[in-house]
Amino acid sequence: MSLVAEAFVSQIAATEPWPENATLYQQLKGEQILLSDNAASLAVQAFLQMCNLPVKVVCRANAEYMSPSGKVPFIHVGNQVVSELGPIVQFVKAKGHSLSDGLDEVQKAEMKAYMELVNNMLLTAELYLQWCDEATVGEITHARYGSPYPWPLNHILAYQKQWEVKRKMKAIGWGNKTLDQVLEDVDQCCQALSQRLGTQPYFFNKQPTELDALVFGHLYTILTTQLTNDELSEKVKNYSNLLAFCRRIEQHYFEDRGKGRLS
Amino acid sequence: MAAPLELSCWGGGWGLPSIHSESLVVMAYAKFSGAPLKVSFIDNTWRGSRGDVPILTTEDNTVSQPAKILNFLRKQKYNADYELSAKQGADTLAYIALLEEKLLPAVLHTFWVESDNYFTVTKPWFASRIPFPLSLILPGRMSRGALNRILLTRGEPPLYRVQEVEAQIYRDAKECLNLLSNRLGTSQFFFGDTPSTLDAYVFGFLAPLYKVRFPKVQLQEHLKQLSNLCRFCDDILDSYFRLSLGDG
Repeated sequence: MSLVAEAFVSQIAATEPWPENATLYQQLKGEQILLSDNAASLAVQAFLQMCNLPVKVVCRANAEYMSPSGKVPFIHVGNQVVSELGPIVQFVKAKGHSLSDGLDEVQKAEMKAYMELVNNMLLTAELYLQWCDEATVGEITHARYGSPYPWPLNHILAYQKQWEVKRKMKAIGWGNKTLDQVLEDVDQCCQALSQRLGTQPYFFNKQPTELDALVFGHLYTILTTQLTNDELSEKVKNYSNLLAFCRRIEQHYFEDRGKGRLS
Repeated sequence: MAAPLELSCWGGGWGLPSIHSESLVVMAYAKFSGAPLKVSFIDNTWRGSRGDVPILTTEDNTVSQPAKILNFLRKQKYNADYELSAKQGADTLAYIALLEEKLLPAVLHTFWVESDNYFTVTKPWFASRIPFPLSLILPGRMSRGALNRILLTRGEPPLYRVQEVEAQIYRDAKECLNLLSNRLGTSQFFFGDTPSTLDAYVFGFLAPLYKVRFPKVQLQEHLKQLSNLCRFCDDILDSYFRLSLGDG
């Protein structure tokens, strides 16, 4: 968004309170959604729960195309549509709700750095596993990604997306990595997160922030998604404080609020 | 370490031992950790390879890419992070990710995509260090690679064109510089009094931006206003690179 458009949207956002009928759009949960998109969607849902803002989750097969930036999830609030965690956090802040106001400058810098770490390593590793690892692509990704569409569209769309992701991987230097190297990187990232979390309940002690939402979204999805093998979730399971962290957020923000267990 | 470690990288200018960020990161880390590196600069003879620079060669190994080279040096017991706590080690990874996501696109843009800068500074400099006729092809390829990387990682809809992406990436880069400045504060290095991996990375990314003279300098101007980051770069140059500038 250009600077002027962003300022304009912020102004409009600030004037209206959060409506009751806010909706979050993602792809079909059972058959279509992929690991990385599910993680992103869960992160946003966790963030909104932490801010105490009600939102209804709606599944649509063409959610990716409805989104203004091409990425899921996106939220429809009032007459505005905002996609991806970063812009959603800013949008929610313009409406007067923020989780990171209590942090000082150095802590805010740390929070941003750790969010970039998760995006840089975990998200990229998830994309790599989904689209560049032949076993997973053949067995899971192609079938799921194209499931709502008739032949031959399902194949065409899946191949197109795979080509796009592979291009991106090559541009950032991940094109030549093997699966083992990628899993090494995931392990390093989890180790860093585990060391930062330590024995605290959340990353910035007592209160959760958007970083907690993002980490929860990714780790929970990795732990609960069935892939061709368990190597990815094993890497996360090595760190018991991360497991406890996920359980804590799930219990506190999803089960206790009557939303029931996340499937 | 008995076997000599030889690093092949792009040369220097404007007071820097190298103007290539990744090469500079490795050189700085080697100085901090005391690794005896023999640095050979790429020149316009046909000796040595130019792809994937910087490259570390030992007797039986060739390692490329800064992260892998640093790992290799650590395994050889040249560890600049010896005194860091676990949390500081984790912070290092996070800040490096921040640099790569937020600052690198703008640095690449300033060097390789911005036409004034590219045609007057970057291209002549690199072309003079690459043998003919490769000098006609390689800089263009590096420039296209940089543009590709920026567009693929940041140019997602609705920002399709470079101009729209530009505003966003420069804004992110300025914010990143502000965050680094806040984090550094008044200390000499990021983690206390001895330099570590994070200092090497920050130095590697910031020093070329700080020192190289460009026609279009918006990011450089912003950096110059953050006096503690400038002081940080100057300190490292003075303490660790002053003596070797004579051969640079």
